Amino acid sequence: MDLRYSGTMGMISEFAASELPKDYYANLLSEIKEINKKLNAFNVVNEGISSGFPFSVKDNICVKGFEATAGSRMLKGYIPPFNATAVERLLAKDYGFVGKTAMDEFGFGSFGINTDRIARNPFDTDRVAGGSSSGAAVATAILKYHVAMCESTGGSIANPAANCGVVGFTPTYGVISRYGLIDYSNSLDKIGFMARKAEDIRTVLDVVRGPDKRDTTSVDRQITGVKKSRLYIIKGTLEKVDKEVALSFSKFIDKLGSEGYEIKEVSVEDIEKSIPAYYIISMAEASTNLAKYNGYKYGLKNENFVEQYNDFFTEARANFGIEAKRRIILGTFVRSANVKGRYYYRALKIRAKIIERMSAILQDGFIISPTLPMKAPKLEEAQRLPPVKAYMSDFLNIPPNLGGFPHISFPFDYIDGLPIGAQIITSHFNDYALLDFASEWEKQFEYRFKYNLGSL
Amino acid sequence: MKIGLEVHIALPTKSKLFCGCSTEQTELPNSHVCPVCMGFPGSKPVLNKKALEVCLSVANALKCKLAESTSFIRKTYFYPDLPKSFQISQLDQAVGTDGRVIIKTSAGSKEIRITRVQLEEDPAKIIRGEDYTLIDFNRAGVPLAEIVTAPDISSEEELSSFINELRSILYYQGVDINKELKADLNISTTGDRVEIKNVTGVKNLLDAMRYEVSRQEELARNGHEIHSETRSYDESKMETVGSREKESAEEYGFIFEPDLTVYDTSWAVLKEPVIASRIAEEYSKKYNYSEGTIYDLIKFDMKALEFIDSAKERYSMQSVVGCIELLKKYDLMSIDEASFEKVLKALDSGISLDESKIKLLISGKNVEERHLNDEIIEDIIRKEIGDAEKFKEEYARNPKIINFIVGKVVKEYGASPGYVAEKIRKMLNL
Repeated sequence: MDLRYSGTMGMISEFAASELPKDYYANLLSEIKEINKKLNAFNVVNEGISSGFPFSVKDNICVKGFEATAGSRMLKGYIPPFNATAVERLLAKDYGFVGKTAMDEFGFGSFGINTDRIARNPFDTDRVAGGSSSGAAVATAILKYHVAMCESTGGSIANPAANCGVVGFTPTYGVISRYGLIDYSNSLDKIGFMARKAEDIRTVLDVVRGPDKRDTTSVDRQITGVKKSRLYIIKGTLEKVDKEVALSFSKFIDKLGSEGYEIKEVSVEDIEKSIPAYYIISMAEASTNLAKYNGYKYGLKNENFVEQYNDFFTEARANFGIEAKRRIILGTFVRSANVKGRYYYRALKIRAKIIERMSAILQDGFIISPTLPMKAPKLEEAQRLPPVKAYMSDFLNIPPNLGGFPHISFPFDYIDGLPIGAQIITSHFNDYALLDFASEWEKQFEYRFKYNLGSL
Repeated sequence: MKIGLEVHIALPTKSKLFCGCSTEQTELPNSHVCPVCMGFPGSKPVLNKKALEVCLSVANALKCKLAESTSFIRKTYFYPDLPKSFQISQLDQAVGTDGRVIIKTSAGSKEIRITRVQLEEDPAKIIRGEDYTLIDFNRAGVPLAEIVTAPDISSEEELSSFINELRSILYYQGVDINKELKADLNISTTGDRVEIKNVTGVKNLLDAMRYEVSRQEELARNGHEIHSETRSYDESKMETVGSREKESAEEYGFIFEPDLTVYDTSWAVLKEPVIASRIAEEYSKKYNYSEGTIYDLIKFDMKALEFIDSAKERYSMQSVVGCIELLKKYDLMSIDEASFEKVLKALDSGISLDESKIKLLISGKNVEERHLNDEIIEDIIRKEIGDAEKFKEEYARNPKIINFIVGKVVKEYGASPGYVAEKIRKMLNL
């Protein structure tokens, strides 16, 4: 393995220092295919992988020549003729593309269940893997040497990372180019990573970050790693999470306190409004992004060309899943002329306020919380949840996503054999501080994995 | 009667508004396309700054207030010509606002207000067959300027004059005026406003306006109310037809374009506005020459204006105009200024020129000088003037009458216009 891999303490450096058996990738592929029958982590595997440190790509990020469905029937058969910038940059450094990972349709979901092939939690296959980057989290939890390129709009990295017991990192908005990402909500979408060690995320982040002339919203800025010794807990957080999670988290916080961190409660005015604000902005943008799927240019083809346009479009668009349809309808409503002031513009104002208030707090501390209010639910439980209840389960992940703040989730405990994650948020462009924090934690806590495919 | 227009013109840039594809419209369909202008999932628009600069220049030439910073929105509607099912356009931070165009009519000058000039992407081209529809995306993403007027136009003459004036201003900004003009026409006579969408070409605009005005008047005469509606123009029948869509049903669901940012405009280098009608007016006064003739010569011909400017201080306007008219007649306007000077000098010295002589002059040779017979010239002048005293009276009221006589003499004898004019003045002691 060559030394272009710069990490020193992660799986990447361990892999780079190892001698690979001749049939390493062939064996890896057959192991993946076998276990994928059970866990549905991958939508597509790359039969051609023959070198490099394996990385998977969420199915809403384009890899040239490989089907990209974003978990939707509407995009069945769409083969992008270009690479996403982030993918391009990893490939240029000899990382090996291993496959496309499963997800909720277009990123619409918190459990990975809003799609045809549902990824399962490797710790308990009756349970969900989380969402929307469900397959990325499962792939990370089963492959020993691997990083997952994934994407978060409102919590789609932190949530499945916590459910599957891996590290999930979402950078500051604009740090990683979105070129090649199939849009959900352009002003909120962020490409990020999952790995088994925080250090591996730093290594790949340094490869892919930086400005891209193909994405106007990508930024040309240095990122920092300023350590904060104060940990803020937003008031009311622990009352809204399951008792067992609250108890475990309180013990974790006590431990951090004993190690020198100052733990402080803080209130953020109107923080609860970030949930409706997030759903309004994301649905408004999503409903315009999904307007292009009309069944004749790419992906699913409607062959009924004799029909009138409206009938033709309507017929093609019946292939969206129920959650996508719900968001198209709500998103179209909130931006319609009569109510736009009450919803869309108001949501934009709330976002600006939340950014202002959280930025002030994050100046002198991290915000910490459990990543999720509960451990991974059973599939049937998740499927029974009414939409608003499901949306509410994101309440800890939405504020940093709405504000474009970098955040990380990492496992800190296991309850009934299921991983529990903690989430840390920091200020814009202080991304390295989160990786430093998680690396520090890894020194005293051993992450557990049920599978270690590709072990050496 | 109140008429307002929304005119769409393709801006002269090499590449499209949000990608690097060529704007050239080639025969081969879908040959200038890429993931961005086809709206492929995963692609992102990147603003062509040149298009913004050209649009700023156009807005400036239309005397608009220019936005210090400008931004884009998404306008959603479902139609197969729209690759993303939304058009990237502008709303509140349009490139230019509050401009004006001065038009001339038989009743004098009038100001037509320009409400806004905005930058947006062209949809694809729809090609309809008998029982099929084809889509050519070569046009998708070409930068358009949408020019919106206030409803200040109140007659066919004003509409025609406005379109003419607008085309001339745009021509001097580099816009290809050979491409058909596309416009939406808003007309209200006695009732609500009726919008006629997507009228192509100047002739059709005027025909559509004429038809719609008489239709509305007919309705009013019969006691019917005119309701707000959207119509289209059927070129073959030369009439406007009601569309199925209701005005109130128009809901574009605008949101900010989240893939783009807010663009500062201070860096842009604007192209000097040239208002040919104003120049014609100025030169007409200064050089005592027909305004209409100068305007017709220069309104769509910047080379003619360059020639005039290069020679106007040293030669009579009659000679300069005569020379340009000759060159246009023989399709020789592509010559350089030095050659123009040679031809002009010969003409001005009274040499009668035809195509072969002009070509000799351009190639650097001399043509034979003809000895002018002043007696013949004077005879012709006397014949054309008739009663000298009467002519002087007419001249006092309208000095341009002298050009009329000069024209006749030049035509009959072939002398230089400047020479003849001077002769007339001498003979009549003017």
